[in-house]
Amino acid sequence: MKLHRLHRRDFLKSTAAAALAGSGAFGALGRALAAEPLNFFAWSAGVDQVKAHISAFEAKTGIKVNYGNAPWAQYRDTLVTKFVGKAPLDVLWVSDAWLPEWAEAGWLAPIDGYPQLLKYNADVDDFSTKSMMWKGKQYGLTYYTDYMGFFYDEGMLQKAGISAPPATWDEVVQQSLKIKKAGLSEYPLMLSMARETWLIEFLSALVFSHGGRFVDDSGAAVMQDKNKGAHEALTWIVDAVQKHRIVSPACVEIGELNGLKAFTSGQHAFAMLGRYRIRTLNDPKQSQIAPRARQALMPRGPHGKNATVGWNRFYGLTTAAAKDKAKAAEAVKFIEWFVGKADGQYAFQKLMFTDVGSGFAVKSLFKDPDIIKAYNQYSDIKMYEKQQALAQKKDVIAPWFGEWDEVNGTAFQAAVVGKSPIDDALKRSADTWNKLRRRA
Amino acid sequence: MTALALRRASRAPVNRYDQAAALWLLAPMLAVLAVVAVFPVLYSLWVSFFDLRLTRPHRVPFVGFDNYVDVFQDELFWQSVWRTTSFTLICVVAIMLIALAMALLLNEEFRGRRFLSAMLLVPWAIPYVANGLMWKWIYDSGYGALNGILFQLDFIDKYMVWLGDSKKTLWLIANAFVWKEVPLATILVLVGLKSIPADLYSAARVDGANTWARFIHITLPSLRPSFMLVVIYETMMAIRHFDLFFILTEGGPAEASHVLAWHVYVETFRKLSFGTGSALAYIMAIVTFVLAFWLIRALGKKL
Repeated sequence: MKLHRLHRRDFLKSTAAAALAGSGAFGALGRALAAEPLNFFAWSAGVDQVKAHISAFEAKTGIKVNYGNAPWAQYRDTLVTKFVGKAPLDVLWVSDAWLPEWAEAGWLAPIDGYPQLLKYNADVDDFSTKSMMWKGKQYGLTYYTDYMGFFYDEGMLQKAGISAPPATWDEVVQQSLKIKKAGLSEYPLMLSMARETWLIEFLSALVFSHGGRFVDDSGAAVMQDKNKGAHEALTWIVDAVQKHRIVSPACVEIGELNGLKAFTSGQHAFAMLGRYRIRTLNDPKQSQIAPRARQALMPRGPHGKNATVGWNRFYGLTTAAAKDKAKAAEAVKFIEWFVGKADGQYAFQKLMFTDVGSGFAVKSLFKDPDIIKAYNQYSDIKMYEKQQALAQKKDVIAPWFGEWDEVNGTAFQAAVVGKSPIDDALKRSADTWNKLRRRA
Repeated sequence: MTALALRRASRAPVNRYDQAAALWLLAPMLAVLAVVAVFPVLYSLWVSFFDLRLTRPHRVPFVGFDNYVDVFQDELFWQSVWRTTSFTLICVVAIMLIALAMALLLNEEFRGRRFLSAMLLVPWAIPYVANGLMWKWIYDSGYGALNGILFQLDFIDKYMVWLGDSKKTLWLIANAFVWKEVPLATILVLVGLKSIPADLYSAARVDGANTWARFIHITLPSLRPSFMLVVIYETMMAIRHFDLFFILTEGGPAEASHVLAWHVYVETFRKLSFGTGSALAYIMAIVTFVLAFWLIRALGKKL
């Protein structure tokens, strides 16, 4: 009996050992035979275009790509959780707003060591390249760049007897009052000031067009300074809502998408929207004001120069991928395929522009006949290019941006709805910025 | 088996084998509970003593009770406590009054009562997110049904701003909450009404009590257990409520609807500051527990 037990135990032990050894050996062999795919994660935009371009990349290089995506609204949280949980990530889409946070956390790797990527900088708008830099290092290559645009309904302006769009914010007030008086619109200017990620883009555009800044070159808050433009911009917004009544007091509950819908329904004469929205504005299937929507330069304040805010989304390389030479080489090929030239042309950026209408930072694409033809069907490519040249990167992008943005959005809203004096709102925003900066 | 035999059986010592078997049978579920309930609760308590920010994974210093101190020193926290208290009071009082009125109505015999009872359950069956989206449409200042109806009935001469008006925001969210919660409260009160013996009313009638006197002296006192249940449940629900604030206003405009639950969300999931978020969640849980305990003691004594 004892002998029998020993035999059985021995048998079990040896079987288990063989199974473990076998699984390890076969596992290693399997991994060697089937190379691990490149893990690419993006938000759920242009999914079909991305998939098609990935297929072409796989066919061309033989490198397999594992593509995943998450909605934009949950993207930052999803990625942060993935990073913390050490999920496999090699290449990903990054927003300029998160760059310092992710770079400081050590999740993103600079691409300065890859000349095959950096060579594309020469053909990219300056503000766009700056948006991908943190502490002197570049962390990616842009596939999508755009800016906040100023649009008007040409038909409504003509009905009000206005021959040219406003060039200054004062003219916006004067023209709006004229349109209001003519009974064409109760609130001629559409501003979306709901608390969402868009809010900082709207606010930055207003501040920059007034020649202002939130922070100076050293990173200290200047938004509370009456001579630095932000004060002037917020005063203008508050007056537009409370004094002139050319902007609806409901602006604090109107998000960007609802603002777009309101403008396309013909309720307003002017609107601030993402530049890429012009395609929707002049699409008769989606807009009642089509084809009368026009883009003008962002109006300027007394000390401004028609500047606007630009934003940037780019392909980033993770630190984990950069550490593995072979993986990094594949990732760089992948990034170049998407953002640089694939088979001799900026294929992906052209595809995204023609299919989805998303913008680009590649200067030579403004001369591309296909792009010009496609864009001029619903807008003016020269105006697009002219305004893009005046775009600036957001000056508040820092590792503490998300935390500060919560307070800043609330402070601006409080001033707009009359719950807080302008000085107090900006002081609160500035104090929060300085406190977070000190803590960091 | 007689009642005496049952009592004896219940007092009989449990066989040691049975105890061991019971323990083994319960073990899988205890293990699951330990993993999904006990561990996260204890772990979040542990986290609340660290300055844990997900975006700063390499530096997680132990800060003791600093997170709790920071929370109590934060002016916005106290503002959100005040707003949560206001919201809870508005909601619980409104739910109690409406539920009582509805229950009294449904306790009467009339044609269509069953249909009305079924219809009453509709808001309860709608998920909170769908409810929030529905009210967002209703309150919209541009195309909302509320403006449309009021305008067509000549109550207003132009479309009003609803959620964007900080003076109205909390009331409007409370309205959406009450609409959703009234059905359950009505059912609980109705059950209480049905359990009042008819003899009490007959005797009161013989003694010359009118309808009002019967309501004050028989109906209301008899409904105390139902009221207690409704008050405790709805207070807990209102204090912890998050969904409508997320969908309708995201805490705005300015900070007009920045309640405690929203405060926890912002700290934890927007700022990704899990240390402070955990501390806040614990404070909220303790407050809720103490309040529930106090309500049970205070109202329970009168039962």
